[in-house]
Formats: sequence, structure tokens, C-alpha cells
Amino acid sequence: MKYVSFFLVLAIAVSLAVVVSLPIGQIPPLAPLLDPNHGFWQNSISEDQLAEEEIDLENLSAPVEIVYDKNLIPHIFAQNDLDLYRAQGYVTAQHRLWQMEFQTMAAAGRISEIVGPVALELDRMTRRKGLAYGAELGLKYLQEHDPETLALVEAYSDGVNQYISQLDKARLPVEYKILNYRPEAWSAYKSLLLLKYMSDMLVGDRDLEFSNLRKILGEAKLDKLFPDFPKENDPVIEAERIWDFTPIPVTKPDSLAYPNDELVIEPLPQPTEGTGSNNWAVAGKKTKNGNPILANDPHLSLNLPSLWYSMQLTTPEHSVKGATLPGALGVISGFNQDIAWGVTNATKDTRDWYKITFQDESRKAYKYGNEWRPTDFRIEEIKVKGEDPFIDTVVYTHHGPVVYDRTFRSNRQDVNFALKWTVHMGSNEQRTFLMMNKAKNHNDYNEALNHYVAPAQNFVFASRTGDIAMRIQGKFPLKWPGQGKFFMDGADPLMEWQGYIPNEQNPSTLNPERGFVSSANQHPVDKSYPYYVFDNSYEHYRNRRLNRRLREMEQITVDDMKALQFDDYNLQAAEALPILISLLGTHKSDSPEAEKYLKELKSWDFFADPNQKGQTLYSVWSSETFESIWRELLANEPPVLRPNTYQTIDLLTNSPTDSLFDVKGIEGIETADYHVRVGFDSLLVAMAKWENEEGDYSWANYKKTTIQHLVPNFKSFSAPNVYTGGGSGILNATGSRHGASWRMVVEMGSEIKAFGVYPGGQSGNPGSKFYDNFIPIWANGEYLNFDLRTPENQEEMLFKTILK
Amino acid sequence: MRFIFLTLMTAILVVFLNPVAPFWVVMIGIGVLSALIYPNGIGGFLGGGLGMGLTWLGQSIYLGITTASPLPDRMGELMGLGTGMTLIAITGVVGFLLGAFSGWTGVLFRNLLQKTPKNVYRG
Repeated sequence: MKYVSFFLVLAIAVSLAVVVSLPIGQIPPLAPLLDPNHGFWQNSISEDQLAEEEIDLENLSAPVEIVYDKNLIPHIFAQNDLDLYRAQGYVTAQHRLWQMEFQTMAAAGRISEIVGPVALELDRMTRRKGLAYGAELGLKYLQEHDPETLALVEAYSDGVNQYISQLDKARLPVEYKILNYRPEAWSAYKSLLLLKYMSDMLVGDRDLEFSNLRKILGEAKLDKLFPDFPKENDPVIEAERIWDFTPIPVTKPDSLAYPNDELVIEPLPQPTEGTGSNNWAVAGKKTKNGNPILANDPHLSLNLPSLWYSMQLTTPEHSVKGATLPGALGVISGFNQDIAWGVTNATKDTRDWYKITFQDESRKAYKYGNEWRPTDFRIEEIKVKGEDPFIDTVVYTHHGPVVYDRTFRSNRQDVNFALKWTVHMGSNEQRTFLMMNKAKNHNDYNEALNHYVAPAQNFVFASRTGDIAMRIQGKFPLKWPGQGKFFMDGADPLMEWQGYIPNEQNPSTLNPERGFVSSANQHPVDKSYPYYVFDNSYEHYRNRRLNRRLREMEQITVDDMKALQFDDYNLQAAEALPILISLLGTHKSDSPEAEKYLKELKSWDFFADPNQKGQTLYSVWSSETFESIWRELLANEPPVLRPNTYQTIDLLTNSPTDSLFDVKGIEGIETADYHVRVGFDSLLVAMAKWENEEGDYSWANYKKTTIQHLVPNFKSFSAPNVYTGGGSGILNATGSRHGASWRMVVEMGSEIKAFGVYPGGQSGNPGSKFYDNFIPIWANGEYLNFDLRTPENQEEMLFKTILK
Repeated sequence: MRFIFLTLMTAILVVFLNPVAPFWVVMIGIGVLSALIYPNGIGGFLGGGLGMGLTWLGQSIYLGITTASPLPDRMGELMGLGTGMTLIAITGVVGFLLGAFSGWTGVLFRNLLQKTPKNVYRG
């Protein structure tokens, strides 16, 4: 009896211990998660409560001092570069380990390993786009051409790995505990992968949709609806710029035979609308203090932990401060004692598709000119949590990976398209940032940029000595006009890119007469630039608002520049609303609701401030109207694209009776006013529903800006309904899920004054008080002090740590 | 008396051993303690359970108060359990169950080692 009862109770105790240590479905093991000494409770502790005066870090040549200011921004003081980047890796991992690993897992197509089969499709796509392949080539490039940079990237990686090896269970980021996995070793390859991830986030193409539109509309109508340049072009590089170089000739083939397929393929995801940025610099002659002022605000998905992590990095040779990308070395957007720089996305079609004709089913050879060229096979083994690995075979041609084939996103057996993208070419973006961090003048800035390939950026520049500059840098293919707008025949050698635009012929300007340089993702140049420039996603409103303001402003101060970053003026509404109201006529004039909304719209000052109702009404009415105009075009089965809003408004304004407004499915001939009325009717329905369910329709309440955790299911780790204004196409480009992911304003002069903020916090830990403490500051358009610090400065210091 | 002693000793064990060892090592420790102190079956069950359960409860409350962190509430919402208070309770209950069965096992193990007289009357 004694034995029976002992073994029975022992069995219960052991089973209990086993049950609480095993994951059940998606639920993580309960006891390790709840154990107050190791589980999530430990993540309640903020970084200042865990501060250590000294930490052992191997492979340092001298001690490194780290001073944290009151916002947990680390200021690293090292004696040389190797120590500096080793410490940067260590400190970044301390605060952002889970995020940096998760982002590189996403870039490598390995999310299924963490979350299971739900991410398999996403992983297949990432791998088929060849991001990991690009990073491998990048690493090879460093090994062969730039051992100096490689040594620094490896030092960073060593810093991260030393942190991982010191990490005990209690300090493990809470996401690992919930998702029940452990961090793996970091590597130089992962740092490079992160930069490819940025390319993927920022670069798209619409070749598929344009190919279909060409077939549906014909070339003439396509050119009318999608002109290469807008009527009012206010480009990045001032239109007056004289191009003083001899361009490389580009020959257009005599006859162009595009593949004539109707492409019923599910398109790849594109950068979401709202992904963009502003940057500018004003010369001393336009500022109150006579110093140049530089401003930058990249607009990206609003996520927690934030994409950005602020730091100061100092050696005896240089001291740089600004926003870093966890996982990459140095500062990405920032300033040092001599210069300041910032980035915005410079979209330009650097991604093209080629139709591949395979010799036979085996796909071992494809047609090119008069020969059959051999293909390469890359076997992608995708590990899937809780299931067998998925094996995907991706065929590589000299153009690039065959993304669409019989196994992926195509319902036709004969469709094969290869992706050619500058991301697949060995490159060294990391070196650009390392050199930029130390640059002292305009020449150094140009030298640094010469190493930069992708994603193409508008690099703004200002120096202490008074220079301002802008350069659009990336590796841009030489194309004949129209090349790469549509899918091309990969068997025809005439369809190849004919080389690349030399770096010195990329659009740039130094100290222009107008006293400022600026970019807001618009057309890079005007028509006089001698190379073909095309992209579908150019901005048409932020740029014009920005340049108008900069032209009229004088005696500019840092506060003026902050206010301009937070400017809510909706230029699109200012141009379109009077047209909409006039085309509406007396429609629904007997409805009291219609009267109320129209009154609010008419009295609106076009500022998308959080308490404005006019912005909500305009936003719904205009989008419903545009939707109605293009409904028949978008109803085509093959995926197509609608003309941009600028073009649509231009048609409404200047050609309201054009035949394109006619709806074929309805008897009679419709003109623009029909669609405006349809849009207004939809507005009435939508607002009645909203007022009934949600009540208040002031703008902030309607757009519901949300800063979302990187795992969207982790809703309680997100910050929903942030009260702030702005929107897409507005300088303060804060929409519901996108917006200013980092704001910086720097005045260069004998004393540098710097300010910055981002919607998040320095800690990646949702339990820390430094996780989201910047959000209210950011939402109010306020800033943190970002002045450079010296190690002696004890003001507003949180704590200090010595690595040795 | 032995039950109270076991409760106290278990609490001390959890406070000092748990930070450096996973929960299952603590369970073994409670079993050993319980076998050494040797209360009766109910005493072992309650002593181990209350010792570990109350300590886990106390530790989670202590962390919640000293850090003022929003994490318990965030975790509660994430796990569909409402607030952090529920999680504190669940932590206490899980700690109690793990400690209780360890304590009881310890007592029953000690029982195995006790020599039972074959004939109580003959001695």
C-alpha cells in the first residue's frame, strides 16, 4: 500500500511538472513563463534597475565607457573603431536582441520556424525574391574587397554574441519566452541581411500591373493616365540645375516585342502607401543664426519595438549621434561634430521582370539569344514549427531568381518570370554609413556615398562650414525610355540593362541658389536630366508643400523646422475639395446630414489636425469618389493599377467630361460629377454608420494611429489610438499604420544643437518604462535633446557602465 | 509544528534556490525537505504547496509593486486572462500545486523507509 501511494503521488507530481513544461498548441510552457524568478515577471524590471557599473567584455583593447542619459540613450566612448562597434553590438543586443533577430529571420524567410505554417507563404516569397542570396553576395563582396569593414562587422557580431552567451533565463526578452525559442548566434551575414530587409521594405515595382494595363488600355491611353512627369513637377534636384556631363548613350532596340501574356498572377506585396520620408537642409543665408539647419523624418511602418535605436558613438577621432538600425553598424541618420545627414527613399525602378523560356520540363536550361543557358538550382529548406520542413526549389538565371513559376502564385503551367534587382548584386552599404559617421566635409560625404547601392536614397547634407547638399544615390540601371515598365522577354539580349549610371552622374546639387535642398519621395529630376527616370510611386503633394514653405520662409529657426516636420496642411484637399464641392452641385441639398457635412467641409482650413472633422469627411468622400471612377478598370481579372490621386484630381478638374468617366455598365454617358455624387452618397452611408457605432469622427479618432508590435497578434504590446494629426501626402505623414518613424532637426554651427524623437522607446522590452515613453512626446510634435555629450558630463545621467 | 516548519523551509528554499535553478529542481528540493522534516501526508502537501505557492505569489506581487510595470496587465490581456491580477493568482496556484505534490511525494518517500513493526503486540 505504501508503495502504491508513493508511486501514485510521484507520478502525479512528475506529470504535473511535465505538463507545465511543455507547450500545448500555441500556448507556451506555463511554469517557465510564470516562474517569478525566470519567467515573464522578470521582464517587468526596467533597465535602470538592472544597471551594472562594470561588465566583462572580451576582446577589447581598452575599457569602453557607456553613459546613459535619462532616456536610456547610450553614449559609447571607446578608444578605437573595433572596440566601438564591439560595444555597439553588445549594447544594442542588451536592449533590442529579440527584434534584431526577428527582423533578420524575416529577411531570411525563417518566420515559419518561430510561428509555424501560418508564415510559410511569406517565407517562400521572401526566399524567392532572393534576399538571403543578396546578403550572401554582400558578404562575399566584403571578404574579397573590403576586409577592413568585414573586421568591424565581425567585431559588432562578437559583441552581440558575447551578450547572448552571458544571457540568463531571467533576462531573456519576453517574446522568446512567449514564443518558446532561444536566440541563436549572430553573424556578419545577419547584419548584411538587415540592410537587404530595408531594401525589401522600400522598393517595389508595378511591372505586372503595367503589363496588363498596356494590354487592356493600349499604349496611348496608358500614357495619358500614367504620364512619366506630372504637370507641376517640383523635383528633388532643383529644376534649374544644369547637367554638366556627357551622358552615356543608351540605344533603344528598333522593334520592341513585349511578351503578350495576360498575366493572371497574384502580385508580390508592395511597399505600403505612406512609406516615404522628408528631408531638407536650409543654408545659413535663410536662417536666423546664419547656420545651416538639417531635418529628416523617414516614414515607415509604425512598430514596437521601434525600428530605430538612438545612440552616440565616440572615439578620439569622431563623435556621431542619431538613429541606428539594431543589427547594423554605426548611425544611419544623424550628425557628428562636422556634418549632418539624413535619408529619404529615392524610388526609381530598379526591379525588372524577364519572361523565361525553359528548354524542357526539367528547367535545367533556358533560352538566351541563340543558345540554351544552364540554370542554377537553389534548394530552400524552410523549417516549420511543429511540422516537417518545406523544400522549395528556386531556379536562378543570369537575370536573377525565377520568382513566379508553376509552384508559386501562378495558376498557369507555362508562366515563368525571373526578377532582376540591384539587391542581388554584391554591394557594400555598410561601408557608406561607417564612412559617413566620420565624414568631415562634402567630399567625405561624396566618397562615402560612392559605396552605396540599394535601396536608393536621397542623402541630404549640411556642414558646420555652411555647405548644404543633396545627392540621389543608388545603383541605377541605364535604360532606354520605357524599359522595365513592362515584363520583358528574357530570351532577347536586347532587353538587357545596358550598364549603370556612373555615380558622378547621379542627380546631385551643392549649395543651390534658392538656399535650400529638399526631398519628399517625388520625381528626382525634371525632364532635362539625360537619363530615363521612371517609378510609379512618386509623391506629388508633400514635396510641393515643403518647397513652397521653404521658398517663402526666411530667418528660419530650429523651432520653425520642427513645426514644418509636424505640418498638417493637406495640399491635396486644398486643391481637390473646391472641385468636389462644385461638381456636387445641389445633390442631396434637402438632407440635413448632407448640409451638416458640407458646412463642416466648407469651413475647414485644410489642416489635418487631430480634432478636425473636415479631414475625416474629405478623406472618405475623396477616396469613395476615386474608387467609383476606377471601379470598372480595377474589375479586370488580371491585376492592374489605378492612376495616382494627383492624375485623378487633374482629370476631375480639367477634363470632367472625358469619356473615361463613363461607366459602361450604366445606360447613358456619365461624367465626373456622377462619380462625385456616388462618392458623396457613400460618405453619407459611411458617416451614418460611424456616428452610430463610434460617435465622434474627428480625425485622430477616425484614423486611429496604431504603433503595432512586430508580432501583430501581440495586441497588448502595441500602442493603439495615438492622438495625433497628419496623414498620407501631408508633411506630418502619420496615417493609421505609417508615419514619421524618426524625426531629427540639427543646427550646424560653432555649437551644434540637435533634437530627435521616434514613436517608441529605447527598450525593446514591453515591461520596461523605456518601451514606449517617447510616444506622447512624438505625438505632440515635441523633441528630445540630442546634443553630443562628453564623458565628463553628468547632467541628466541615468547610469554609467564600463565594459572591460 | 512540522507542517509550519516545512512551509517556512520551503519558502526559504524557493527564495534562494529558484533564482539559480529551474522550477523542477526546486520541486526535487521540496521533496527532500519534506522527507527530512517528515510531517504527516496533509502537512507535507500543504507545507510544500503553501511554501512554494505563497512565495511565488509574494514574488510576483513584489515585482509588480517595485517596478510598477504594465507587463502583468499586458501579459494578462495577451493570454486572454484579463488583468495582471489574474496572472498573480494563477502564478500562486501553479506554485502551490507544484510545491504541494513535491511535498507530499517527499513524505510518502520517507514512509517507504520507515520500518513498520511486523507484530505490534509482540513487539
